[in-house]
Amino acid sequence: MTRPGPVRIAVIVAIALLFFLPLWWVTISALRPADEIFRYLSPLSTWTFWPRELTVAHIAELWTGPFRQAIVNSVYVTLVTVVVGLVVCATAAFALAVIDFPFRNAVFIIMVISFLIPFDAIAVPLFGIMRGLGLQNTYTGLILPGIGNGLAVFLLRQFFLGIPRELREAAFVDGMGWFGVFWRIYVPLSGPAIVSAALILFVFQWQAYLWPLLIAPAPDYKVAAVAIAQLSSFYDQNFGLVFAAALFIALVPMAVLTALQRFYTASVASGGSKE
Amino acid sequence: MSARNRLYAALIFLGPALLAVILLRIWPAFDAVHQSLLAPRATRYGFENYIFILTDPVFQNSLWTTLIYSLIVNPLQIAIALALALLMNVAVRLIRFWRTLILLPVAIPQSVSAVIWGVALRPDGPVNAMLVAIGLEEQRFLTSPDQALASVILIVSWIGVGYWMMFLLAGLQDIPKSLYEAVRIDGANRLQQFWYVTLPQLRRPLTFVLVANTVANFLVFAPVQILTQGGPQGSTNLIMNEIYTLAFVAGDPASAAAATVILVSVVLLVVIVQFRMMSAPEDRQR
Repeated sequence: MTRPGPVRIAVIVAIALLFFLPLWWVTISALRPADEIFRYLSPLSTWTFWPRELTVAHIAELWTGPFRQAIVNSVYVTLVTVVVGLVVCATAAFALAVIDFPFRNAVFIIMVISFLIPFDAIAVPLFGIMRGLGLQNTYTGLILPGIGNGLAVFLLRQFFLGIPRELREAAFVDGMGWFGVFWRIYVPLSGPAIVSAALILFVFQWQAYLWPLLIAPAPDYKVAAVAIAQLSSFYDQNFGLVFAAALFIALVPMAVLTALQRFYTASVASGGSKE
Repeated sequence: MSARNRLYAALIFLGPALLAVILLRIWPAFDAVHQSLLAPRATRYGFENYIFILTDPVFQNSLWTTLIYSLIVNPLQIAIALALALLMNVAVRLIRFWRTLILLPVAIPQSVSAVIWGVALRPDGPVNAMLVAIGLEEQRFLTSPDQALASVILIVSWIGVGYWMMFLLAGLQDIPKSLYEAVRIDGANRLQQFWYVTLPQLRRPLTFVLVANTVANFLVFAPVQILTQGGPQGSTNLIMNEIYTLAFVAGDPASAAAATVILVSVVLLVVIVQFRMMSAPEDRQR
């Protein structure tokens, strides 16, 4: 770390604000009357970047208009994914880190290689399978791909490996079983890793676009990330609602990641760049 | 604990994840290979589907576009991310806040970023308004065959570079100060310090970023499907959009399966080759 000069600080601030500018524009466009969104563009003026009048009409329309079901679907699907995904990934990580069983390394390697295939790359063939199983336009179909996450398993396994053996041996002497050791010892000791894994599961599901587009096209099951794309492609565009929806869908993960950033970057960095 | 007890326990704990791996990865991968080898109207295996798409000008163009796109976007994003990391690696008040502003776009779903930039890049949109305000000409961006791919690169870079910057920043902060002091005593200037200390020390995070970014860029889909559908004139028809089009617009699942197998093979190959190329000799001996 060096002490920066004023020029360098100015460059830092300018670049950061430039990156933020599109999001700022979304925010003010969501909060200003619809007829003002494109009004102050030529020539550029203060009012381009600062709302002249504020309104919450578009924000309210999120809940009263056609977008409401999409928000409910996204929140529900993401919550279930995080909870179920944590159980699936943490139990698998526990078996791979703690229980000594035949072919453990082989199973671990097969899982790592399988998850090297990016999910979106095989979404199209998976869609054929899931449709055959009758899972199109169901919450199950939306949630399933999110619950098995290789990165989350890998991260939790690394963390579990660092918990001293003596703890579980003492617990076995006290008569605890595998489930007791998992639930009473490993889970309570793994707070940061569990938060990191939850974030990975959350981001994956909240950002999903291709899969929900294929598996849940019906209005009752459409998620927000898909609904906003279709909302914006209508010929008669309601830009106020588009921007309000964009603001909402963007704010949820921005708030979560800003609050928990240290867990996220720390975990992904240590999971990816170092052994 | 007996061996049998451990095996049962492992099966119970691993069961759900194993089922997920089989259903979500192994089955569809085999299904894609199976479908791609089966001729559309026959029951025997063969390479007809591969020959068909590889001789199809639209698919050839899609592969070519994806190649050009990858060769531009990956070095560009990594260079920007590295420059940002070097710039932001300072101890100054509020630096975390400025870094977070650059990181934020990655938290937003790509479909939302696509929608935002779709409006921003409209001919009568704010980006053109700003170009005019600083004395430049208006551009056609996504509606021009010459500028659409560059516009997609702009959008995905706005999304991604802050994310890759964070990994490189973490790597920069792990470099021991003593290394810089040592080469400074030998009279190294700033460029030499960067070349002989910073870059070699960043090898691990750079490898990770290069591999992860290359894979991510092969999979770019939402901005293309939402903003251009591969057009104008096929200029943005990246491989994911082509697979989607084959499967759901052309209604040709066998060709889509063959294209999927090609994509997955290329992704795995790139991952393996890049890890080997970036690993230092001493790593290989071990």
